[in-house]
Amino acid sequence: MAVAQTPAPPRERRAPRLPGRAPRRPGDPRGPRRLWPYLLIAPAVAGGVLLLLYPMLRAAVISFQRFRMGELVRGGAAFIGLDNYRELLAAEEFWAVVARTFAWTGINVVLIMGISTAVALMLLRLGRRMRVALMSVLALVWATPVIAATTIFQWLFQSELGVVNWALTSLGFDSFRGYSWFADGTAMFGVLVVLVVWQSVPFAALTLYAGLTTIPAELYESARIDGGTGRQVFTKVTFPILRPLFALVTSLEIIWVFKCFPQIWVLSQGGPDDATTTLPVYAFKIARVLHRYDLGSAVAMLTVVILAVALVGNLRRMLRQEGAES
Amino acid sequence: MRPRRVVLNVAAAAVLAVMIFPVYWMFATAFKPTAEIQSETPGLWPAHPTLEHFATAVGADGFWTFWRNSLAVTGAAVLLALVVALLSAFAVARMRWRGRGPFIVMVFAAQMAPWEALLVPMFVIARDAELLDSLAMLTGVYFMVTLPFTIVTLRGFLAAVPAEVEEAALVDGCTRFAAFRRVIFPLLAPGLMATSLFGFITAWNEFAFVNVLIIKDQDKRTLPVWLSSFRDVFGTDWGATMAAATLFALPVLVLFLFLQRRVGAGMISGAVKG
Amino acid sequence: MRNRLLAASAVLALAAGAGACGSGADSGSGSGGAPATGAASGAPAKLTVWIMDGSVTDELIKQFETDYEAARPNVDLDIQIQAWDGIGERVTAALASTDAPDVIEVGNTQVAQYAASGGVRDLTDKVADLGGADWIPGLAQPGNIDGRQYGIPWYAANRVVVYNKDLFAEAGITAPPTTRDEWLEITARLNKGGNQGIYLTGQTWYALAGFIWDEGGDFAVKEGDRWKGALDTPQAMAGMDFYKRLQALGKGPKDADEANPPQHEVFAQGKVAQMINVPGGAARVLEVEPDMKGKIGFFPIPGKTADKPGAVFTGGSDLIIPEASKNHDAAYEVVKALAGEKFQTDLAKAMNFVPNRTSLAHVLDADEGTAAMAKGASNGRATPNTPNWAAVEATTVIKQYMTAVLTGKDPAAEARKASEIITETLNSGS
Repeated sequence: MAVAQTPAPPRERRAPRLPGRAPRRPGDPRGPRRLWPYLLIAPAVAGGVLLLLYPMLRAAVISFQRFRMGELVRGGAAFIGLDNYRELLAAEEFWAVVARTFAWTGINVVLIMGISTAVALMLLRLGRRMRVALMSVLALVWATPVIAATTIFQWLFQSELGVVNWALTSLGFDSFRGYSWFADGTAMFGVLVVLVVWQSVPFAALTLYAGLTTIPAELYESARIDGGTGRQVFTKVTFPILRPLFALVTSLEIIWVFKCFPQIWVLSQGGPDDATTTLPVYAFKIARVLHRYDLGSAVAMLTVVILAVALVGNLRRMLRQEGAES
Repeated sequence: MRPRRVVLNVAAAAVLAVMIFPVYWMFATAFKPTAEIQSETPGLWPAHPTLEHFATAVGADGFWTFWRNSLAVTGAAVLLALVVALLSAFAVARMRWRGRGPFIVMVFAAQMAPWEALLVPMFVIARDAELLDSLAMLTGVYFMVTLPFTIVTLRGFLAAVPAEVEEAALVDGCTRFAAFRRVIFPLLAPGLMATSLFGFITAWNEFAFVNVLIIKDQDKRTLPVWLSSFRDVFGTDWGATMAAATLFALPVLVLFLFLQRRVGAGMISGAVKG
Repeated sequence: MRNRLLAASAVLALAAGAGACGSGADSGSGSGGAPATGAASGAPAKLTVWIMDGSVTDELIKQFETDYEAARPNVDLDIQIQAWDGIGERVTAALASTDAPDVIEVGNTQVAQYAASGGVRDLTDKVADLGGADWIPGLAQPGNIDGRQYGIPWYAANRVVVYNKDLFAEAGITAPPTTRDEWLEITARLNKGGNQGIYLTGQTWYALAGFIWDEGGDFAVKEGDRWKGALDTPQAMAGMDFYKRLQALGKGPKDADEANPPQHEVFAQGKVAQMINVPGGAARVLEVEPDMKGKIGFFPIPGKTADKPGAVFTGGSDLIIPEASKNHDAAYEVVKALAGEKFQTDLAKAMNFVPNRTSLAHVLDADEGTAAMAKGASNGRATPNTPNWAAVEATTVIKQYMTAVLTGKDPAAEARKASEIITETLNSGS
């Protein structure tokens, strides 16, 4: 899922009221008609239960078992209670990974949102030709498959023949001759941030730009007439109006960056020295490199819990909003 | 005013260059002969362009089979997700019912699903249900991976279609279904296409599930398997990999350009208008 | 013939009243001799064989398939070439499935891990039938876990020094080095102008293995029933130190292995005097740069003294039969043919590999590269034989250690850290 993004998760809009269907309080006994919504969501619910909830439950069960390669092949996993969780929570490494994952998510999301906002504002002010060109390029990047993009980055940052080192050396930064980007924890982390930000900006920028175009021009003008500077206009007018959109895009980016896996695994396998081991990478290493599927499932369960806690405010606000609408 | 414009355009050009460079480099490398790829001073464009890497890529075992499978699985998953999501989105955007709020929150939360960690349970489930080597199982997984986002997005697009339009149709004597088909659906088409692109990219890219769910019946593998096949014990064939990556990205790009022309920038902005 | 056999097996199956599985007994006593085994036990005709990309040429495997099917009309071989990416998970999934491929090629250092899971068929009673006494140890030992033979040796290869004859001549070097000191000295002489003395990437851990063994060290040692990472022993650190001195005599990237970019492509540019590769790598060079023909030479990796070549890692493959295969007997016939003299001879010639038995070593004599390899093979070794070794490889801890030392971090501290990780990984029961 860390894969790619779509255009336009749109802003919330109040559901329209159809005349003649007056009292629409929940629980209103109006016969079979009330069944319709439930019939409509039934396929989605069925799919979710069968293909998501059920596997999740199986993963939860595995996290309470001794389930390694032998058990996967032969069957006959034994329950061992909370042992996996105990082992995990006792390990210093786990907490280091959690902290790193938060840092990873924070850095990326701040950069993505900052750059995307700047690009979106820029798009708004550009002439038509330049705007179309920039939007097309964003679309191009957005549509480039993750596997392909990751492969390209590996090649760009190659130490002896990579074009990045060649460019830096040509510009006179001689210390980059043969510089090993993948050998140093911080440099590796940086390369991955560049990759993920590069891949994520198009979605966020295009969506925010779309949001910006919906703000009536008169609002800006009156703000300017009132003597507002560019920054003031943004903080006083633009941002408040688009706050829900910002919130939605930000939380989507948090989820995506937090769960980002293939990019990291392909480029660094979590190294060097675990400098790029985030929770999904950690879970993968444990589960499929060491074949400890039990411990890996425990990591995944905790990941979901952590993510849910991190976003609980957002979820509650959503629930409140939806409730207020009906 | 003038210098500001210049600064703005220069900045835009810089962003443009930085964003496009990696993609350009993929294209350029795909056309370079191997000796040029390994050259110590990289050329910005191929000095002696060649198609040999494309020949290698296309000539690889099973290319056309994988291609067909990818298209079938991706297409089926996306279509299924669109239909199912449309029903849910309609219920959410147009109707009031008990449990609506929790349903929306669940859909949002479903995006947090740790898919990588579900690989083993999913494998066990497929094995026990005798669904290994089955494209249907794979389609099901991809359907589920894309469904939550599809619902969230479609719901927004649907909400953006003014209810008055639908009401007018109802007043004219259309049935609810006919109103939907004749009036809402055409207005929704750009949204459907935009949403389908996301599902398409996700399913098109997926490697981990196809790697363990399709085992013995090799003819059921998909394109990502092919993309990773230019590496053997001697190393990765960069030229062929870049050529393959180019070909791999092509359908998505074509789809995007097609959608872009068809619906224009309004595709995006339309969805956001509240 | 084919129809009659099928009909006969159908009758047998009906008579048994159940699935016609697991009747290994009548296959042995079958009248028509070995080729009829599959049909006699009522096995379905299709056999799936997994072979890794790059192990055999297309022509060779097609030929094998045709010949095999011609000799056994009741068998349909489906030989599938496997890509390297994700192969570990794929093999694990196959072993855990209910209908696995019938024969799988796996790396010799991986066998123990798969065998420990219980998903691999124990072939101990077939060793004599396959001529096991003659197998080369570097392949037979990793396939053997606690005295039981799970992996059947298929082919081996060890690394040699591949060199550019022109560059050697230019530098006035007439004879290949025979000791490490000489090797360093000539490599330094070759590392002049735009030329690289040696292209050695920072993470070529197979080469490091040899240097460490030469010093008397190892990656890990067994103490009682526990394994202990041993990169921090003086011997292992001496091996790493030599690697560092050698690596500095060229421009191999310190943070990559020999596959990215493929070193044969770099060598083909004509500015690299030496690389450490299997002899088959020379053919790859020629694919990129046909003009190099006749300019490529080989010599065994030099040891500490002239009387003995350097220790080398014996890489290679074993064949396994998954328990989950539905055609154990027929699968065994395929293994027997692939590991048999005829195919082994063809394979060694086509791929420049070491055949699985010592009695066939002579087929390598004709070729300069394989002759050098055979000389080195006399001092061939394997990685620590434990099911968890595969996990050590997969964590890339050794590669990361090498990069750290080469980029100037404290060797002792890095070695200690890496050894701890190896200890932990090897002792995490699976």
